[in-house]
Amino acid sequence: MYLVAHVDTSICAETACKLCTQFCPEANTILYDNEKKTAFIATDRCKACEICVSICDNMAKHSAIKMIMITDIENPFELSKSGFRPAEWNSMVRPKLISEKES
Amino acid sequence: MSFDNLKMSPALEKYMTKEYRDLVERGPYGKPKKVSEMGTFKEILEEHPMCAGCAMTLFIRLTMIGLPNPEHTILVGTAGCGRLALTQTSIPFIYGNYGDTNAVASGLKRGLATRFAEQPKDVVVMAGDGGLADIGFSAVMHSWFRKEKFTTIMLDNEVYGNTGGQESGMTERGAILKMAPKGKQFEKMDMIGLAKTANVAYIARVTPTNPTRVASTIRKAVLIAREIGPTFIQAYTSCNIEYAIPTPKVMDDAKEVESARYGFMEIMSDEAREYLESIEPAKKPKAKKSESEESVTAN
Repeated sequence: MYLVAHVDTSICAETACKLCTQFCPEANTILYDNEKKTAFIATDRCKACEICVSICDNMAKHSAIKMIMITDIENPFELSKSGFRPAEWNSMVRPKLISEKES
Repeated sequence: MSFDNLKMSPALEKYMTKEYRDLVERGPYGKPKKVSEMGTFKEILEEHPMCAGCAMTLFIRLTMIGLPNPEHTILVGTAGCGRLALTQTSIPFIYGNYGDTNAVASGLKRGLATRFAEQPKDVVVMAGDGGLADIGFSAVMHSWFRKEKFTTIMLDNEVYGNTGGQESGMTERGAILKMAPKGKQFEKMDMIGLAKTANVAYIARVTPTNPTRVASTIRKAVLIAREIGPTFIQAYTSCNIEYAIPTPKVMDDAKEVESARYGFMEIMSDEAREYLESIEPAKKPKAKKSESEESVTAN
């Protein structure tokens, strides 16, 4: 198993910095939902370099991105399955941590 | 090479992959995108096999946004890390042999100018420091002396990253690498100085710490290369494997190097500045700003 980045949408939606989308070295990996004003991760493309984590912690100072074990995410968003369809993002089931659901 | 290449044949549309369809429908072709819009449109760059956290990939990703007309662009590259991502773009890519990138680009640009007299076609050479400053050095210099109208972008990771960490001409003096255990004995090559000597129309030195600036630098270089003459961008794109930089610290390293010895610098000929102002009058104050930055960083 391996780690992937995970955005806490409740923190991210309060800001509009979009810095992580600009500094990720992978194309179309950190996506931005203009309706919900939040970034989210295409789990299948994330290589776990943690650049977004350091950008969010040190440059943006929001600490909204954490590295999570991939098995701990429910409904991960996978670009290879869903394709790039911003119109559908509003109605899709959000990826969330399994621990969040239990509590 | 034109919008026609991107269109899907109606009969074959259902067989096209998801990625291709997304690119045609929600890509940047025909609707130029800004850096601040990243993550909301399908990018020219697809998934690629480059290492996790590679600053070179980030630079290439930003380059694709900076290109003024990606549908009329051809990329030329050579062996090296950069080609791993450059081949995964929806822009035609020519894999030159080692040493001949700028010679290939010269012929290509002249041929395209003859064949498509009305439509300017952009040729962009993107190769590593080894491909341009060491092995392709003579072709690079001669393309500048001949005033060939295309952009040369050096992805300067200061090492031969793809072959195990040998020193290159662009490695800093004293740098200890896997295949240079005693440390490099000579100074880093001054490619900016050589470009100045060759009277290159637009010279820039940039690090990927400011995405908007990277995209605008690329845009300026490609536009100037259409009309005025050769342009050169030297970009610091650290190799986190050979220089053992932990991936979360890649941007911190880029900032450190930027403030120590790799500050943003832009040298434009008067002719090039006049041309830029004639096509983009709104950007006039910005051009002045970069001029003052140049004088600060150059001192």
